[in-house]
Amino acid sequence: MRRLGVVFAGAFLAGVMSVPAAAQTFPDPLPNEPIPSVETLPDHYPPNWVLVHDFNMNSIVDGRVAIADIGSPDRALKGFVRATQFASFLYSSAKNEIYTAETFYTRFDRGERTDAITIWDGVTLQPKGEIILPGGKRQASLGYKSIFQFTNHERWALISNFTPAQSVRVIDLENRTVLNEVDLPGCAHIYPTGERGFATLCADGSMTSIVLDEKGQVASSKVLEKIYDIDKQPMFNTPAMAGTTAWFVSFYGQLKPFDMSGPVAKPIAGSWSLGTAEGGTPEWRPSGWQVITSDAAGLLYVLMTPNGKEGTHKDGGTEVWVYDPAKKARVRRIALKGAAMAVDVTREATPHVVVAGADGSIDVYDAATGAFVRTLGSTVAHMPMSLTVVTP
Amino acid sequence: MAGFDKFAERLTRNLARGSSRRSLLAWIGGTVTGAAALPVLPVSRAVASEHGGGGGARASQSTGNIQDPGDPASCDYWRYCAIDGFLCTCCGGTVSSCPPGTEMSPITWIGTCTNPADNRAYIISYNDCCGLSSCGQCMCNRNEGDRPQVRPQSNNDYNWCLGTESAVYNCSTAIIIGVALDS
Repeated sequence: MRRLGVVFAGAFLAGVMSVPAAAQTFPDPLPNEPIPSVETLPDHYPPNWVLVHDFNMNSIVDGRVAIADIGSPDRALKGFVRATQFASFLYSSAKNEIYTAETFYTRFDRGERTDAITIWDGVTLQPKGEIILPGGKRQASLGYKSIFQFTNHERWALISNFTPAQSVRVIDLENRTVLNEVDLPGCAHIYPTGERGFATLCADGSMTSIVLDEKGQVASSKVLEKIYDIDKQPMFNTPAMAGTTAWFVSFYGQLKPFDMSGPVAKPIAGSWSLGTAEGGTPEWRPSGWQVITSDAAGLLYVLMTPNGKEGTHKDGGTEVWVYDPAKKARVRRIALKGAAMAVDVTREATPHVVVAGADGSIDVYDAATGAFVRTLGSTVAHMPMSLTVVTP
Repeated sequence: MAGFDKFAERLTRNLARGSSRRSLLAWIGGTVTGAAALPVLPVSRAVASEHGGGGGARASQSTGNIQDPGDPASCDYWRYCAIDGFLCTCCGGTVSSCPPGTEMSPITWIGTCTNPADNRAYIISYNDCCGLSSCGQCMCNRNEGDRPQVRPQSNNDYNWCLGTESAVYNCSTAIIIGVALDS
């Protein structure tokens, strides 16, 4: 290969020596550029960067987690890591590491199955290590954030299994080992609690809280019955976290907060509703995949559709309703350019609402005014499913 | 199926969770035997929404049966009221069979859809076809009766390529497994 390279370079240089007359306008040639050359990303991602889970529905085995700069419409896509086959992911800004939980087959779509969490370096986007998840149990579904969560100050992760038997694995990310598997039949999703533990919602309307000891074993558990009614007020899987309060929203716009600060998740008494508005056909309801989020001040942002009725909860929202839990009032309505499936709010000095459109576009709005700022078009992802803003 | 056996074993070892266990058992009975007696879920004629590609113009299909009306290659077709995925009718399969080279999942989620021709509510089993990459044609997502993931038998967000040799998802069928009983 080296000899061939020399011959090729010789021919190339000979071509360069016959300078055309027009080039005299530019007496100096463009400088040579070093090869190889690969970009890297900063140690600390700026607060206007967003991690976008690209489910890539048209080729789910080629899913990705894209890193996007919402302030840079001409170069929004900064890079991506692999997130194959109904993956889920986490990002630690403190360690600048991305964790993807994935499933592989030795012959692409067939062969021996391996489930693993890959640890990606945030600077090079190269893999630093992996944790094998034995038994082919990892939950494969839309990549809702609450099926893969941190606990124990990001030293551990919790990940859902679904075979369809339901359980949660406790993962030591630092020592790269599986510590435990907690069987939770009838329960789904992971809502971190306290220092080391989590709560989960169960189909019978209860909520189970699990406290983990220093080895990842179950130290104690507590079941609170009749926490919610899945038939009367089904709740979207993933809440908005405002500090240590988890704000769930129902299909019909009721808000239900839980205090997650202690070892046992506790429902917070009171009632909160997103309310109604003109123009509903028949009514405004929440709709999307990542349907609710919060900003640094604790305001809630909910994707809303005016076409709310049975079966519209995943159509996507054409407005974002901003709700202040302290005032128990909607404080703003943000009209979107199109239906959006996911919403998040940056932690910038001037926060931005970022939405992922049903058409794959990423749009940016001013959180304080609701004014449209820019669109990144579909330059970041094929099918953006979730958004994760960089937090300090 | 090893995982499913273990699941059944675990269920029998965890008989404490009243209502959820009963509903799960009903679901298992329904999906394994295809003979569940399920209540009629609320059914409305929601506008089909599409997320993803493969939505280009295409020639319509027909079942050839006036009691099974509509275009099975269209998201509006009556059986698709709670489907989420690529329509197998556009991928080399039919509304009730998988494309060549794939394997049909034995475990799945179900919807209750009203047939506009005979006005009966049918239980529809949305068996996924597995072992080939995403079909990429005729993406269709409708969610009548879809409920959060904590009620798996009524949730279409899961990859239902379970109990198959490969969990790689290709497309979804919509198979009649019974007439729903009025509640």
